Amino acid sequence: MPHDGHHHGDGPEAALPVFTAILGSRHDPALAEALHRLEHAHAVDELILPRADLARRRLRAVTRAGREVAVALPREQKLSDGAVLALDGAAALVVRVEAERWLRLAPADAAAALALGYHAGNLHWRVRFDGADLMVALEGPDATYLDRLRDFLETGRATASVEEGGA
Amino acid sequence: MSRVGAARVGVGGPVGSGKTALIEAMIPRLTAAGVEVAVVTNDLVTQEDAERLRRSGLIDPARVRAVEAGACPHTVIREDPTLNIAAADDLEAAFPGLDLILIESGGDNLASTFSLDLVDWWMFVIDVAQGDDIPRKRGPGPMQADLLVINKLDLAPHVGVDAAATLAEATAIRGGRPTIACRCRGADAGDGVGRIVAHLREQVLFATAGAA
Repeated sequence: MPHDGHHHGDGPEAALPVFTAILGSRHDPALAEALHRLEHAHAVDELILPRADLARRRLRAVTRAGREVAVALPREQKLSDGAVLALDGAAALVVRVEAERWLRLAPADAAAALALGYHAGNLHWRVRFDGADLMVALEGPDATYLDRLRDFLETGRATASVEEGGA
Repeated sequence: MSRVGAARVGVGGPVGSGKTALIEAMIPRLTAAGVEVAVVTNDLVTQEDAERLRRSGLIDPARVRAVEAGACPHTVIREDPTLNIAAADDLEAAFPGLDLILIESGGDNLASTFSLDLVDWWMFVIDVAQGDDIPRKRGPGPMQADLLVINKLDLAPHVGVDAAATLAEATAIRGGRPTIACRCRGADAGDGVGRIVAHLREQVLFATAGAA
């Protein structure tokens, strides 16, 4: 396998460039200098992914430069923000995570907060906490989430607002 | 450097929707395309689906492993997929040339989804005879699956379902993400199974679009 973890597939399904290893993080001192040099030459391409896709070992996607690529990683490796998939003297490919959108839910009181927490868990939503508010990661259409919260919102037991940004 | 293993693809859906039948229909097409395939089945407390595939003559029986979930089927494909990961690892160790492992969930409800620690990509199988309102119910399974399969297309007129409308509604609800209708047994008008196989090969085995 080539040093840059990049080949053109094997077996019956050989086609587009397939990246088969994570070489390190863009923050590794050993890689950072080479990446910095390539950035000046505009030779660092980015694979921008939704956070939910970081759990995938195999995917195909289009890079920021418009190149169609595939990723196929060994099962013990996992994509992350800043993962370097290719790096040589001429070019590099680095993973970047899309800015996330969050639904901020402010419960009216402790009883509403308990019910809201149960509800979000029951629906397997990915959450984080910000003071008294529950933050829900929006990984699909907004309506999918807001429809499930209709009773909370219509009765005033919670208010909702969408926040952009933050990976 | 670590070897990149076989692609792992989940097949989920309600009881009786045709998950095993779809796998039976896919195997010859995959084999004809040169794809080395193995299967992990999940049943509640038996090995019924595994035995059915082993007896089918479609695949080397040694390439079929069974997991007995023992409880709600989604627990072993999402909350704790250890048993299925171990079964897939065993298959890869026994057959190092595998390209693809299909992991069939036990029949479950519309909330069933796969962990991406277990599979790279997954499909959810429903059928027209279960009613035309399943896509509208927006269950996590049909909504989040990489591919929604609507099976038993031929039964639509017998159960008062407008198949074309159901397919259009499912596609719209999924935001245009792929939905393919098929018939796993008998004449498959439109070659739905062939299109499912082509789509799978394109997405996880990285075949070029339109590959035979």
